[in-house]
Amino acid sequence: MPEFEAANDAELDVTFVPWEDVSTRLNTGFAGGTAPDVFGHGPAAAAGLAESDRLEPLDGFIELLEPSDLEDLAAFLVGGQVNGSQYMVPLGGEGRLIAYRKDLFADAGLDPDDPPSTWNDAYDAAVELTSGDTAGLILQTGEIQRVQSFMGLLGSEGGQLLSDDGAEVTWNSDAGVRALEYFVRLHQGDPAVSDLLGADFANQPAAQNPLATGSAAMVMVTSGQAVQIARARPELTDQIALIQPMSSAEAEMFGGPGPGLFMNKDSGNKELAWAFMEFMLSADVSESYAQVTGQIPVRASAKDGDYVADEPLIASFIEAGPNFVGSPNVPAWVEVRNVIDQHLERALHAEVSPREALDDAAAEAGPLLSGE
Amino acid sequence: MMSVHTSRGPGRIGARWPAVRRPATRWIARRRPGTFLVLMIATVLVMMPFLWMLSIAFKPEAEVFTSVPSMLPADPTFENFSTAWTSGNVGRAMINSTMVAGAAVLVNCTFAVLAGYAFAKLPFRGSTLVFLLMISTAMVPVAVTLIPLFLMTKGFPLVGGNDLLGQDGTGLLDTLPGVVLPHLIAPLNIFLARQYFFGLDDDLGEAARIDGASELTTFWRIYVPLARPLVAVVAIFSFTAVWDDFLWPLVVTSSMEAETVQLALSKFLTGGNVMYGPAMAGAVLVILPVVAVFVFNQRSFIAGLSDGGVKG
Amino acid sequence: MGALFVAPAAAYIGIFHLFPVVYGLYLSFTRYSPLDRGGPQLIGIDNYVDLLSDADFHKSVRVTVQFVAEVLPFAVAIALGLALLANRSMRGIGLFRAGLFLPRIVPLAAVSLIWLWLYSPDGWFNHLLGQVGLDPRNWLLDEGTALHAVAGMRVWKALGGNMVLFLAGLQAIPRTLYEAATVDGANSWQRFRYVTLPGLRPVTTYIVILNIVYLAQSFAEIFILTGGGPLRSTTTTNFLIYEEAFQNNRFGSASAMAFVLFALIFAFSFMILRRMGSNR
Repeated sequence: MPEFEAANDAELDVTFVPWEDVSTRLNTGFAGGTAPDVFGHGPAAAAGLAESDRLEPLDGFIELLEPSDLEDLAAFLVGGQVNGSQYMVPLGGEGRLIAYRKDLFADAGLDPDDPPSTWNDAYDAAVELTSGDTAGLILQTGEIQRVQSFMGLLGSEGGQLLSDDGAEVTWNSDAGVRALEYFVRLHQGDPAVSDLLGADFANQPAAQNPLATGSAAMVMVTSGQAVQIARARPELTDQIALIQPMSSAEAEMFGGPGPGLFMNKDSGNKELAWAFMEFMLSADVSESYAQVTGQIPVRASAKDGDYVADEPLIASFIEAGPNFVGSPNVPAWVEVRNVIDQHLERALHAEVSPREALDDAAAEAGPLLSGE
Repeated sequence: MMSVHTSRGPGRIGARWPAVRRPATRWIARRRPGTFLVLMIATVLVMMPFLWMLSIAFKPEAEVFTSVPSMLPADPTFENFSTAWTSGNVGRAMINSTMVAGAAVLVNCTFAVLAGYAFAKLPFRGSTLVFLLMISTAMVPVAVTLIPLFLMTKGFPLVGGNDLLGQDGTGLLDTLPGVVLPHLIAPLNIFLARQYFFGLDDDLGEAARIDGASELTTFWRIYVPLARPLVAVVAIFSFTAVWDDFLWPLVVTSSMEAETVQLALSKFLTGGNVMYGPAMAGAVLVILPVVAVFVFNQRSFIAGLSDGGVKG
Repeated sequence: MGALFVAPAAAYIGIFHLFPVVYGLYLSFTRYSPLDRGGPQLIGIDNYVDLLSDADFHKSVRVTVQFVAEVLPFAVAIALGLALLANRSMRGIGLFRAGLFLPRIVPLAAVSLIWLWLYSPDGWFNHLLGQVGLDPRNWLLDEGTALHAVAGMRVWKALGGNMVLFLAGLQAIPRTLYEAATVDGANSWQRFRYVTLPGLRPVTTYIVILNIVYLAQSFAEIFILTGGGPLRSTTTTNFLIYEEAFQNNRFGSASAMAFVLFALIFAFSFMILRRMGSNR
């Protein structure tokens, strides 16, 4: 920050707010007209804020970037767009991959260098890997995380959550049912190969992640978790590897930009606000941001940087980039996501059938999508 | 409860060693080994999560949450404390929180106690209604009152660039007075004071009034000395209420200069990237002043204090 | 004269506590998102009507009641026991009191992480279970145990404050009453039953109501320990209000929920205040 202040002869008031409290803080700020010029928030909030006319479109600024910079950033910029307009510049990328323990593969008689490449193979392998105190395959099933796991499965079945215009629910398609049936089978199938249903790995110490403790052979991880596990358990570095997105019909996993920066529409200082955003996107700053957070660097060119050289696991996430599918940017997304979340949970606990859960979620989300 | 009544006794102990002159107080372990043992076990059990916290504060990152839990750090370090202190703004935050909490303690101990006394000993027409209205405000979830309170803080007249009508400026936003605003008098402290004074004898005040004392003198000379434990509790609770508050300082402050302790700590605790060592070290640092406030105030809880002049 | 003593507190609370509540009441009859530029729009009693058929809300009220009922007896009874133990004037007692009070003052966000770990599959509780040969449990992930686990932590957190209140209450009981009881030949149980307990009544009334008010508005520990799950088994009403207000930006309907919750808390508190009496 001092670096930016010196370069722009400007004074910067930075307030640190934990991600989980950003909404609270912004609500009061907008209500009182004291919201900051630039604020960080997750991409899930983009469409809602844009619809409430709180965001300055950034297209005019983006155009001014050097073409080479634009190309470098292109992959993750898309996820910050709503209806074709840029509202968020991502600070880093996030993605989910399945990480596995080579030693446990070898113990179960599987080839540690040839992990499964389809979800069905993964289930079969998981059956082999599951034993008394080791689960075969654990996807993320914490609050909201299960939606993201489901999106990956849905994408790999060739389905998507919403129609392209974002107006219609399509998650209760046959592809959706197949995806959820698979998800449920991991936990309720015969045999079940998963446990820790509902665990929130994001809020657990990396050393306690089942991959680190060896209580699971394959675990879905974010790039941040992969990096943290490797840092917490250096002795496991050689035993942990990542599997590229698995397919059923297509190879897709949940991923896209992580939280990014937004510009307040009422900002009185938009030029400077953009200068700050541009500064955060610059090669050095964005690389060190990714390094601190364990995220995927937002610039494609960072794949040859020091960070990726130090954390080889990140290379796998960069490689998987084209196969990541992100959340739909529709105004009601946060609420729609919470609805899906609740019904997925019921299905995963075998309270309702997969089709019923998806249909119920569709019935509840329909009015939200059409704006009440 | 067995151990409770066998060793009961503000009466007995107080009778032999009145609070004012107790030359022969001894270490509890020697006087009553049984009670000591029970207290010891209870205290250790209650402190267990804190002891784990303390242990993590002294552990290097590699030792945190290993698969076989060990409370004693194999390789103790002070690094977490220095990280918390230097990169967490904990020092500044502690000064801020102390000032804010101090103000809350002073105002609560004066006006909440006074109001509670009046509700108990000097009821007036409509006092029950006023009392119920006051305590009912504590029963409404903060999510509802957050925004109006924020707007009022921003519109506080004649400060922060505001005019008389509270326009044009930012009022008390991002100031310490803004942080203390909702904590100055806690309705539940008034309630506590009311209940406490109910327990004290009416005759004392009557006697003073017959002697010609004013109401304020009666309150101050007769009842306040008997209410020292009450004042101690109000002080402790007012202090901790401010010290623990997270949501209000989060929305009302924005600069490091006005940061409070819970905000400073939250930097180590943000979801997905928790720094366990510094977080626990910071938490340990941050409770030290509160422990000091508690230890100072708890001296008012001396068995047999309510001797002076109370008629049975 | 009494009114004069109350005046400063009444003025302050009227402005800074009551007014925001009244504004919140107004919001409960509106549709309002702070993100929208329009401000609140009056929609009458729609928000309240919607709550009648809101299954999540109904469940949250049941969860809240169960949570309060589970925590309250332990938080009060154990605190009374601790206060009686710690109520003596001896050197070193301050240390015990401080130790017992500690849970009340440890920053919740930090200590919740410890509890999260204590309850986790590889945590300390399961470690202890393992040592006595019992199977580990998924305390926070199992619908059958999650609320109990949160309640357990909450009892722990509430003990210190309640103990301090009982300690203060014990000081208000005149020593002479104990002397008189002893002269009358009362044993220690009888002294406890007929002197201590009645003497503690005003402060006990306070403690019970205070705990109901706080417990019924539990949020932070649930947010950190379970996020309201599994299957909404720990979603208390205040947790739902938070989600509705700050995630869904529906302050109108959140306010309506808040005032239904308020009515419940007030009704219970008022009943207890009446029953346990103002004790004059």
